[in-house]
Amino acid sequence: MSVNPMAYEAQFFGFTPQTCMLRIYIAFQDYLFEMMLVVESVILKKLDGFPGCKISTFQIRKSTEKFLLFMKQHFDKLFSKMEEMLLQLVLNIPKNVLLPEDKVHEQYPYSKAQFQALQDEIHQLQQQYRAEASAGQALRAELEEQKAVQAELEKILQWFDGLENICREHGTGNLEESFAFLTQNSKKLQDVLKDVEEKSKKLKQHDQLL
Amino acid sequence: AGGEDGPSVQATPGRAEVFATVVDTFLEKLVAAGSYQKFANCYRCFYKLQPEVTRSIYDQFISQLQTSVKDEIQEVKNEGNLELLFNSLDKMVEEAKNQEEPAWRPSGIPEEDIRSAMVPYLLKHRSYLRKILKEKEEENRKVAESVLAGRNRIGELQQLIQARKHAWQ
Repeated sequence: MSVNPMAYEAQFFGFTPQTCMLRIYIAFQDYLFEMMLVVESVILKKLDGFPGCKISTFQIRKSTEKFLLFMKQHFDKLFSKMEEMLLQLVLNIPKNVLLPEDKVHEQYPYSKAQFQALQDEIHQLQQQYRAEASAGQALRAELEEQKAVQAELEKILQWFDGLENICREHGTGNLEESFAFLTQNSKKLQDVLKDVEEKSKKLKQHDQLL
Repeated sequence: AGGEDGPSVQATPGRAEVFATVVDTFLEKLVAAGSYQKFANCYRCFYKLQPEVTRSIYDQFISQLQTSVKDEIQEVKNEGNLELLFNSLDKMVEEAKNQEEPAWRPSGIPEEDIRSAMVPYLLKHRSYLRKILKEKEEENRKVAESVLAGRNRIGELQQLIQARKHAWQ
């Protein structure tokens, strides 16, 4: 016959019911013995007041033992019954009752696989977040670079606009056109120079051949 | 029995009441077994000599025994805070009365049992991560828009400069 350890009850009460009953049993038994000893000593004392009587201490002891044995037998039987009732009706937690502190086990009965899946999901979210965070940093870095580049380009534009304004102020007309005309002319000159060079080269070659 | 109009009269007695009743019954039956007849019978010679004293000793013995038993029970109840625990257990039993399935019990393996205890924290952590991830994605979306706009602007500026350059050639 297996002994029910009543561990869940112990979790609730703070003691094992069987231990509690044992403590009570020992206490009661001690009282019974104590009381009997007191009874015996009182009777013996009373007998001292009767010097002529024939009742010996031994007889009294025998009487005490008889009564005690009788009481002990009834005591054990009755206590056993009481213990059974208390363990079944009072100091027990029915099978369908869950202690409030264990509520999570009812709410979240996760198997090993489900638990692992949850952990994996969290791990993945962490990685995704890290990726987003570094992407964000990269974007912001580019934004900063853009600002610098934009500033430079705007400076150049302003410089160009500044030139136009100067020319307009000094009435040189359309300086751009003049510049364009000049550059075209210088280009033409360059082309002409090239032509001349080629032609003179050819002439020299001709001379050598001749 | 006097029927009181109390706030909640329990149909079945609570654990505290059962406890008291069982102890009282035990005591009653014990005292009944250890009757005066039996006592006097055992101490027959003394009884013959001093019947009133025998009676008085017996009465005191029984009274003392009952007091000791009741005191011990009270001490156990006080130490273990049993009154409170009995009432609270009664309440739990009442609340679970419609549940036929056996409830969870510790498996004895801490690693198994701790899983469920950790789940609420993990769920909270997961929802936190989901939230900040969403916020970050939204934030990045906005910054990406700015970056694209910036690139366009730079392209524009470059075009304008090219136009100016050509005009000056």
